[in-house]
Amino acid sequence: MKLRRFRLGGAVAALLIACGSVGVATAEEDDRWWAPGEGRVFPATLDYPNEHGTLRVLLEGGPMETRGHPFFEPIGPYGRACVTCHQPADAMSLSAKSAQIQWERLGHKDPLFAPFDGSNCPDLPQEERESHSLLLDHGLIRIARPWPPRDFDGNPIKPDFDISVVRDPTGCNLSKEWGLPSPDPHISVYRRSRPVANFKYILAMGFNFDPKAGLPLPLDPETGEPASHNLMADGRVLSLASQMRDAASAHLGFLEELTPEDIDRIIDFEKRVFTAQQKNRFGGDVNAGGAEGGPLKLAESEPGRLGSQGIPVWSEFDAWANSDDPDISPEERAWRESVARGARNFRERMFLISDSAGITTPIGFGNPVRDRCAFCHNMSQMGMDVAPGQVDLGTTNLPFADPQPHLPLFKITCKAEPHPHYGREIYTYDPGYALTTGRCADVGRITLQSLRGLSARAPYFSNGSAKTLREVIEFYDRRYNIGYTEQEIEDLVNLMEAL
Amino acid sequence: MQGRFWRFVAAAVLVNVAVAAPAEQQIKPVVEQVGEEVRFITCPIYRDTDAGRKSGCWLGDRRETGTRFDITGSPTKPDWNHAVLVEGRVVEGDTQQCGGVLLEPVRVSVLHDQNCTRHMLPAEGFTGRRFSLPTRNIRPLYEPRELPKPPYQEKSFDIPFDFGRDYIVYQLSDYYIDKAVKYAIDIDASRVEITGYAATTPTTVSGQTLREPAELALRRAEVAREWLRRMGYPLDRVKIRAQTKAKVSDMEGADGLTEPSRRRVTLRVIP
Amino acid sequence: MQGVVVRALLTVMVVTMALAMPAYARDWWGAGEGRVFPAVADFPNEHGTLRVLLQDGPLDTRGHPFFEPLGPHGRACVTCHQPADAMSLSLASIRQQWQTAGARDPLFAPIDGANCPDLPHGERDSHSLLLDHGLFRIARPWPPRDHAGKAIKPDFDVDVIHDPTGCNLSPRWGLPSDDPHVSVYRRPRPVANLKYVLAMGFAIDGKRGLPLPLDPDTGKPVSGNLMADSRVLTLKAQMHDAARSHLGFFERLTPAQIERINDFEMRVFTAQQQNRLGDSLDAGGAEGGPAKLADSEPGRLGSQGIGVWSEFAPWERADDSSVTPERRALRESIARGARSFRERTFLIADSRGVNSPMGFGNPMRDRCALCHNMSQMGMDVAPGQVDLGTTTQPFADQQPHLPLFRITCKGEPHPHYGRVIHTHDPGYALTTGRCADVGRITLQSLRGLAARAPYFVNGTASTLREVVEYYDRRYSIGYTEQEIEDLVNLMSAL
Repeated sequence: MKLRRFRLGGAVAALLIACGSVGVATAEEDDRWWAPGEGRVFPATLDYPNEHGTLRVLLEGGPMETRGHPFFEPIGPYGRACVTCHQPADAMSLSAKSAQIQWERLGHKDPLFAPFDGSNCPDLPQEERESHSLLLDHGLIRIARPWPPRDFDGNPIKPDFDISVVRDPTGCNLSKEWGLPSPDPHISVYRRSRPVANFKYILAMGFNFDPKAGLPLPLDPETGEPASHNLMADGRVLSLASQMRDAASAHLGFLEELTPEDIDRIIDFEKRVFTAQQKNRFGGDVNAGGAEGGPLKLAESEPGRLGSQGIPVWSEFDAWANSDDPDISPEERAWRESVARGARNFRERMFLISDSAGITTPIGFGNPVRDRCAFCHNMSQMGMDVAPGQVDLGTTNLPFADPQPHLPLFKITCKAEPHPHYGREIYTYDPGYALTTGRCADVGRITLQSLRGLSARAPYFSNGSAKTLREVIEFYDRRYNIGYTEQEIEDLVNLMEAL
Repeated sequence: MQGRFWRFVAAAVLVNVAVAAPAEQQIKPVVEQVGEEVRFITCPIYRDTDAGRKSGCWLGDRRETGTRFDITGSPTKPDWNHAVLVEGRVVEGDTQQCGGVLLEPVRVSVLHDQNCTRHMLPAEGFTGRRFSLPTRNIRPLYEPRELPKPPYQEKSFDIPFDFGRDYIVYQLSDYYIDKAVKYAIDIDASRVEITGYAATTPTTVSGQTLREPAELALRRAEVAREWLRRMGYPLDRVKIRAQTKAKVSDMEGADGLTEPSRRRVTLRVIP
Repeated sequence: MQGVVVRALLTVMVVTMALAMPAYARDWWGAGEGRVFPAVADFPNEHGTLRVLLQDGPLDTRGHPFFEPLGPHGRACVTCHQPADAMSLSLASIRQQWQTAGARDPLFAPIDGANCPDLPHGERDSHSLLLDHGLFRIARPWPPRDHAGKAIKPDFDVDVIHDPTGCNLSPRWGLPSDDPHVSVYRRPRPVANLKYVLAMGFAIDGKRGLPLPLDPDTGKPVSGNLMADSRVLTLKAQMHDAARSHLGFFERLTPAQIERINDFEMRVFTAQQQNRLGDSLDAGGAEGGPAKLADSEPGRLGSQGIGVWSEFAPWERADDSSVTPERRALRESIARGARSFRERTFLIADSRGVNSPMGFGNPMRDRCALCHNMSQMGMDVAPGQVDLGTTTQPFADQQPHLPLFRITCKGEPHPHYGRVIHTHDPGYALTTGRCADVGRITLQSLRGLAARAPYFVNGTASTLREVVEYYDRRYSIGYTEQEIEDLVNLMSAL
């Protein structure tokens, strides 16, 4: 009973803060949204409020003039820039809320809603909201992947599966211009934009080994060097340089090659940006009271380290386990303790993981295997996978995926070996990694993401199926029959808020 | 103090009650002898013990005799939806961790073309086995490592495989192939000769005839070559061959088990 | 905390006491003794006292075909259906007979009282299944025959993977013999409370999607609840079957003999009468014991009438001040067990006869009383062939002492096991010849359990606690220690 009242109180507080922040956003809307080519100076420290507190963006090496900078200037015919979908206020990703605000302000004229990928399909009437429903309602950008897939050198791969469209409310996969029946067949999947920050972690290699493939790391075709393989939801490119070219042509419509100088400048910026939540919803710093949250610690730490053999994942918050700080309110103290419990839970609470390719196959961990969140989310300070993190959580594959009637549904038929968990036929909203490798065993495998700055960039999962952090936890609870208590859910949500 | 004493007594009593059932079951081989090497196909049973991460138990009933074996120690663990080929040696050991006669060493190969009804047992008082990092594991890049010192010698490395697969088994085969490839690179070997083997000679296990496909020998060799490529060894110095009807070997990675010792790739690294 | 300690210590004490208690001297009823069967007979057991009622008064058993030896082995029906053992046969009684009379006792007749008739008679090892597990050999023809005796073409092959008895591979008794038989090993079922076993609540067998089977003799529908594998449909057919296979009596029983056996069997009722504290199970408002059984209407569905084991509902608040606290605690535990039986849900999966072919779903959430649904008896009102997994892998407990068969489905695969099934007893499939029926075993009466351990068709549970523990394992129920105790106390009171 007491617990419930506390929760209610929390909800009311959150609501108040949310209203407050909307008020702030209206006043500072221009400041919050970075439009292409604005020519602002990117400061060394940038704070943005969100419903869980304040996000901080750090630029290592000091402020940067963005005028003429290829990350910030519009490139290509749509008038978009990189920053359009990688907004500082949204932890260098893009929240569905920001998309909604831009729609309110400028409608389809904002370059964000460019027909090519900012609408459900380029051939829909662009001035109508419905044509942009996936971006507005779910924060999803269209990703068109060639079929058959091409390898990292651009050569077509002979896939070991057939793909057919079961239904497609966007119409795009069956479009004669954009879909599978077109002369240049593509599969359209819809995904959240991934945060462009904390990149030294994403590019770090802890081992020169991908145990999920039983091979050393893949080589970047340009440099011949191994790559971490943690970029992109489907691992379709291996280096930031190729990601930029991919994004410039796919999302900005910029078909000329970026110049080496442009690439260097973008990389320079991207590697200097760090972001994480800095203040909690009580206005307190997440690196106060002995804790080490916030982006500064991130910027200063060594990337790519395994938490189980070094600094445990989220041990940043261990100091809050017994929060006896007399200077903070009892509510904030309770919140700190909850975050510390959540961090411990993340590392220690076991549950039974089953039928998740990348974990339960092909590695011999067994199916099922009892382990914790930090089994896969194992990188110190970041909670990504130190090894290449393509794992099938079931967020996009039936029967595990939540119903997503707004998305296309594909049927995959494995032609050689059946999938070890799904068998010969798989129904999926997004084949994920399989669209890169052409192997049915990879259907639904999606690269694990950074867990920092979550508060600023709802919704979650690659297809935006979790609208809140609570829904993220609830998905896991459903998927693996974990049986979290209400307290455990709250603790994990509070932890994720603080990242 | 008294409270603590009572808690201790209670814990002891509860433990006694809990283990009473397993102890009564007299977990011992029905027919097999200690030291015997066994090989059988069965549907695995998962026992959901909880002594921390990866502490669930895997059991396999040998249908020919009715003995329930503890096969948890295998580098590759079973998938509860598929049959497994179990190969191991019967040893005396702690049967109270999982509730089966211990096989050590033991190898499990998942037979993906044979489905099983999934079955999970609760812990039932068994403790499970606390996870510890297998001794055969690859060390992270950020850890310093020692380079070989000249004069360099020709060395042969054997890489073990699960039955019917070309996948480099995590924390077993990766350890050996990583050593082999790193040696080739560190000494800038003039040549690497890869031989892939497949156990194509049929054997009968639990009423089934098992044989590896002939083309698996080459596929295994190609995996080793891909390791060399990705780790940066020039492929023009690599010779590759395939060998079927693989013979028993003394490969370290098979830990003295007969049939697993046939399934391998050999890398001969020549200075 | 202290409560936990006390409970734990109590458990230990109870267990210790049970172990330390001397085995009850069994009142053995030998064939042809010519005693008078009384109207009321009480027999002590470790859980209290069993009562056997004979409706309509005492019976002189002299010359009575249930009690007189028939056939060459000197056995009578009563040999394996002992009043003290709730008209079944307990392992304790079997061992007592071995000790007092040894292999000469007709109980150990080679035909089914030995692991195989061709083993050296008289050696303990030759009778290990009976002496260690209470199991008799049941030889079933292969291929199976239908109820009219005609050969059925089965949709599966059966192979022997291993057989410690040797019987299934015996050139004289096994599959390679001129008259091929499959030997399985089963517990004798109680011959009492038969009006319930024969009652028909519905005209339909939902597990087959057909009306009830017809008795080939009369053309009338029958309950389908006789025998573990439902190989006969009527008491009369059962008598012929048993006289032949267990008594070696190959002449046909005369109609007069059948009539007399039938008359006796329909009059016998049995149930536990007192619990281990000497408390009557029909005291304090409760309605346990056999009198209620004899008086009630059979074949009624508990969910639409009298709740199963609601006999003990008045004990839920046992505030009877004339009762000792110990007795009160036991009463309350029994009542909680009864409620748990009706109300505690768990997830039932991959059990043919429950999860298929009926559309309940796989898995489905339900309670003990889903299948054990008959008021007063806890059997299935519909024909109760269900695959609990007690005999079939991967769910069966280890039974290295039993033969293991490999079933290969030739037509459709089994919906839960697929094309290949490993089983210690194909059960109902040996009657129907269908691989979909492998491991299905007819639910039994739950009365008089205290008198007739071990449990399950293959005797794998040596105590009532082990019965509950099996279910707990099989369906990942997660019973608490208290729930287990309550269910065990309930079952020991039936």
